[in-house]
Order: sequence, then C-alpha cells, then structure tokens
Amino acid sequence: MTIRTARPNRGQRFRPRTHCLKKLDAIVVEMQDPKNGVKGSEQKLNVTTIPHAIAGANIIAWISNKMKTTTEEAQVFGTMLVAYGYIYPLQNHRKLVMCNDSSLYRFQTPYFWPTQQWVPEDSDYAIYLAKRNIRKKGMLEPYEQVDYNHLHEWLNHKWDFIVMQATEQYKAGRDRNKADRVVFDCQERAFWIVNRPPRRTHSALDVGPERLINPNVEEKITFDQYRRVNIFYQQAIMRSKVKSSVSLGALVKYITSYKNHDAFLAPCLPSNPWETDHDAYWTLNMRRVDVPTKMRVERWSFSLFELLTDLRGRDDFKVFLKKEFSGENLAFWEAAEELKWGTASSMSAKAETIFKTFLAPGAPRWINIDGRTMGLTVKGLEHPHRYVLEAAQTHVFMLMKKDTFFRYLKSPTYKEIQKKALSPEAHNFSPAQLEENARNRSAGIHPIILWQQEEEEKAKAAAASAPVDVKAVMSKIDRKK
Amino acid sequence: MSRWRRSVDELTAGRRRQQAECERAQNALSRVTSCFQQLAASLGSSADSSFLREEMDETRVLAHRICSGLSRRLLRLLSACDSAPVAVDDRHASERLWVLFLSAVEYFLSDLRRAKELIGQFPLTQRSSRRSLVNTGCTDGPVGLAARVALVQIPWLVLEEEPSPDLTNHIAGLEAQLGELQQRVPVAFWSVESTQPAWAEVLNNAEDPEESLEDLMEVEVASSGDGSTKLPACCRGTCCWVG
Repeated sequence: MTIRTARPNRGQRFRPRTHCLKKLDAIVVEMQDPKNGVKGSEQKLNVTTIPHAIAGANIIAWISNKMKTTTEEAQVFGTMLVAYGYIYPLQNHRKLVMCNDSSLYRFQTPYFWPTQQWVPEDSDYAIYLAKRNIRKKGMLEPYEQVDYNHLHEWLNHKWDFIVMQATEQYKAGRDRNKADRVVFDCQERAFWIVNRPPRRTHSALDVGPERLINPNVEEKITFDQYRRVNIFYQQAIMRSKVKSSVSLGALVKYITSYKNHDAFLAPCLPSNPWETDHDAYWTLNMRRVDVPTKMRVERWSFSLFELLTDLRGRDDFKVFLKKEFSGENLAFWEAAEELKWGTASSMSAKAETIFKTFLAPGAPRWINIDGRTMGLTVKGLEHPHRYVLEAAQTHVFMLMKKDTFFRYLKSPTYKEIQKKALSPEAHNFSPAQLEENARNRSAGIHPIILWQQEEEEKAKAAAASAPVDVKAVMSKIDRKK
Repeated sequence: MSRWRRSVDELTAGRRRQQAECERAQNALSRVTSCFQQLAASLGSSADSSFLREEMDETRVLAHRICSGLSRRLLRLLSACDSAPVAVDDRHASERLWVLFLSAVEYFLSDLRRAKELIGQFPLTQRSSRRSLVNTGCTDGPVGLAARVALVQIPWLVLEEEPSPDLTNHIAGLEAQLGELQQRVPVAFWSVESTQPAWAEVLNNAEDPEESLEDLMEVEVASSGDGSTKLPACCRGTCCWVG
C-alpha cells in the first residue's frame, strides 16, 4: 500500500511538453525500419556479442536527413532523445548527451519509455535499488546509498515486500541467457538514471514544482469570467498610453546597462555558486564587507534606487552625505521605510518620533519639502497608518535623485571606492575539484549570528548619530571664528 | 480448563499454519509477478512474439488465481483475528501479511496497465508490424521463465478452478478488489515494521558469485607491450567505483 497525499498528484504527467512524447514514440518507431531506419552494428564484449548498437553519428545523420535540418539541430534533437530516455548511451552511461562520433547507443525497450500516464514511483525505485544492492553486494554509489537509506525509512511498512520482490526479480533475471541479461540490466540502469538522475546528470524528466491545474483539460469559461474580462479590457482602453517606441527604448536602455550583471547572460565572477558549489561570490558580496566588488559598485551608478536598495551602497552614500551635512533626507527616507515595513504596534510611536525629528517646525533634522506635501503629511499623522509618509517620502526621494545622487557619483568618496573595489579572478575548476567542492559544502553563517551583528551595528549607529543639532554645529563654527 | 486451553492452542496452531501458507503464497505471487515483469519488458522490442504474449497471458492467469485465493484467506484470517481473542504478535503478523499482499497487488496492477498500453501500441496482428518493433538487442524471448513459473506450487491452484479473465477485465477487477479490500479491513499500514534491517538482502543472497554489470561489460584491449589491459566498454570506471 502506498501512502498518498490527499491533494491529487499533478506533477510530471501534466507538464505540457510531455505532449511531445507521442510524437517522439512515432519517430523512434520509424527509426527501427529495416530499410529506411538507422543502421545498427554489433557491440563486442568479453563474454558475448550484442546486436543493435548504433553509432551517434549515424543517428544524427538519419535525423538531419529525415527532418531536413542542420547537423547542430539534429544533434540537439538527438540529445533530447537521450535525455528523455528513448535511447541510452553504452559508454559513459551517466552523461545523457548524443555525441556526433562513433560512441555507441542503443534503443530503450518500450516498457521503459517515458509516458504521461505512468510515473515511476518510489517503491519501484526501492525495488530496483534493493536488486542492485544484491547484485553489487553492497557496493552502491554514494547517491544510491543515500536514496536507499531514505527509502528504507519511509517505506518501512512495505520493505519486506520490496526485498522479496527484488530477490525474485534478481532470480528471474538470471534465468535468461547472458546477452539478454546484460541488455536488460543496461536498460533498467538507463531508465533509473533518467528518472532519478545522479548529480550533474541532466535528464529531461526533471520538471520542477507541481501544477495545480491540469493543462490537458479543456476549461469552460463561465459568463461571470467573460463579464470580468470585458470590464478589464474596457478599463485598459481608457488608460493613458505610452508610445511603443518610447517604452521599447526604455527597455533597450535597461537591457544594455544590466546585461553584464545578469548571471544567466554573463559569467558571474568569480564563479556561480550554484554551478561550482564554491561560495566565494556570496562571501565577497555580503552586507558588511569592507571592500565591495567592482560589479557591485558599477551597479550603484545605475540609479538611486539601486544605490539605496543595496545596503552596502546605502552605507557609502551615508558617508558621503555626512561630509556634506545633508543627511536628513536619507534619514527621513529610512525612517519612512521603517514605518512602512515595521510592526503595527510600533507604528504610532514611530510616527511620533518622525514628526518630532523631521517634520515639526524647528525640528533638529528638518527636511525641506514643499508646503502642500507638508500640510498633507502633518494632517495624516493625526491618525497614522502605514503609508502616511508616502507622499513626503517620494518627494524626498526625488530630491535626492535629482540633486544629491549626481553629486555623489562625481564625489571623491565614490571615486575612491571605485578604485578600491576588487575584481576577483574567474575560477577554473577541474571535475575533480568540482567533486571536492560539492563534498565541502557547508551550511554557511548561522542567521542568528548575522542578526546579532546587525543589532550591534544598529546600536553603534544610533549612539554615534545622535541628532546633529544644526545650532550646535553652527555655534562650533562661530567659536572657531 | 485443560480442554479450553487445548482448544485455544489448536486455534493458535491453526492460525499459524494459515499464516505460513499465506507467506508461501506471497512468495509465489512475487515470483510470478517478477516473471511477468521480465516478459512485459520485452513487449514492443525485437524479442516480442505471439509466443511471448501467450506466455504472458498464462503468467497473468496464474497470478490472478494466486491473488484471489490469497485475498480470501487473508480476509478470513483477519476477520478471525477480530472475532476471537488473539495474541498481539499474531495480529501483527496477519496485518503485516495484509500490507505485503496489498503492496504486491498494487505493483502488479501498475505492471498490468503498462503491459496493456504496450500491447495496444504494438499489435502483432500483421506480418508488417514486426518492422516497427524496437531493436533493443534482445534476441530471443525469456525462455527459462516458463519453467520457473511452472515450479510454483500453491495448494488451492489445483483445488479451486475459476474462469480466468482477459486483460482488461483483469485490470478492472483488480482495481475494484483493491478499493474494496482497503475499505473493508481497517489496518493501520504505517504501523507495520519490516522484519529485516537495511542492507540485509546482500547477506541472504551471497552464495552465487554473480558478476556485476560493469564486469560483464568489459572489453579486452591488447596493449602494445605487456599483456592486455581490461578496458571497460562502459565509462572509464572511475565514476562507478567512487565511494
């Protein structure tokens, strides 16, 4: 008996691209034609000879001939056939690619073809692992051992059945002649490499999270849905429009400035941790690092929004503003953010402090916003809610963007940090080093430690930046005179 | 007093006998279903033939008879457990057999569905349809499996003769039976524990020196100077022997 969740399992079977499986079936069957299909040869082994081994080059030639495409496309198509499990490689069984040379492949038996209806279950995998365990006398590969232990724990209630079935299947397999036995073992191994891939094997059946709806089912759109769709489109027509040349221009500008910073389009320096399991990139770009990377500093110059959202950039901006004695805008902006994102219970207290510090006439850090906004904000502060300071915050943001930001970009602070910023070398790992990296993956810094560091920094900042009393500073300057 | 004790002992002995019979039947069911799977794995491949399909049918019919007999006996066993006072161990043993039987039926059912789909996809009705069979490298069908299946001996196979259903009806019948069985007997299947620890099956089967797949796939390559080095036709062997 299988423990099944109440929610229906709509995983792999309902991905739209498994619609292609019926067509792939037809193509693979066509490849079998004795006259027009792919030419096979024999595979010579120590113990026996097995027919029906095909060279990768022959398959690719047949595909490009049949579908009238280029060799590159035929190679990609062939790789997809291998990744779905219709053809399996005889040498190098873990790499599911089709190579355009004499490396040998063989067709998978239709019993092991991928289908939309039958998902290989954990109990099937457990039986296979137990069988392989018997055959290899305990010498399973590390990922298989992990899976075995996991399944032994979770399928414990039917483990006796699993072992019994595995033993019987093992004995049944031994009754066949040697060549057939080798072929069946190869087929089964290839099937499970596609369906439970080991690390760094890319099989096409790895599809990601589940869908809640079944895309194969035709959905009837109700009258109410049509009514809402009509209202939506009517409102859309009434909205003010932007010329496509303008919006496309903005999109192009965005892409040109950001394309070197996208980890999918440009290589990530020093190396992408998701690919190489080496977390130098993350440690170099942490929140409170002394010397940021060049890419990060370049990103700050794109817009004030980038500068402020990167907290390290915000620190740098604060340093610059301290020198200019115009830190109150940023302080107000930060206080407004805190109000927006903070807890509901602290809101009224925060609103009070903000009013006293920034908005009241004669306040120590009075911000210079226009009269209308000031009036609206003060009135709203009588009954404070999360977004009372929205208008004032936007105004202050615009002030900073139009004036202070450009001064910052030209300032010696920014130029200095640009010079200091480091540009790490790209890593070049060999496969052995990659394995080593994968083994040395650690859990990283505990979030509690990070939180404690943040609290300490906040306390220090609060102590250091007691409200700068303009009068005190002015009197100091007077005294100097 | 002693007569009562004797009757209780008889009852227990009877139950143990029935449980042992059910265990043997379960083993036989596993054997037959694994033979069925070997046959089904050749469907649609170059080893497919009408002979193979007949063999598959016979295996399936045998499995059907074992299933029906076993389900009846297990139901009787479990309902007896409910009515009469029973030791906890006995009840656990019966529940374990129940869970194993249901798992086996589920597994067999999925194999049957797959086989039905494949037979629909690769009908062997005309001579030309042999062209569309997939060249998998298997040449002859599983020959020894018929002998293996014939060795299965269950007491009720001879005694109870029943009409054997064809494939579609078999699947429908099994599905109905599975649903009904799960509803009729309230067994908490997660409370059943396995009697074997992990990795134990290696020791049970350690008698035969079976070569692993990697050994079988080695190819001898004569190197220039000294002797010959064994070169695996498989990948370089490094990834297979790690860990």
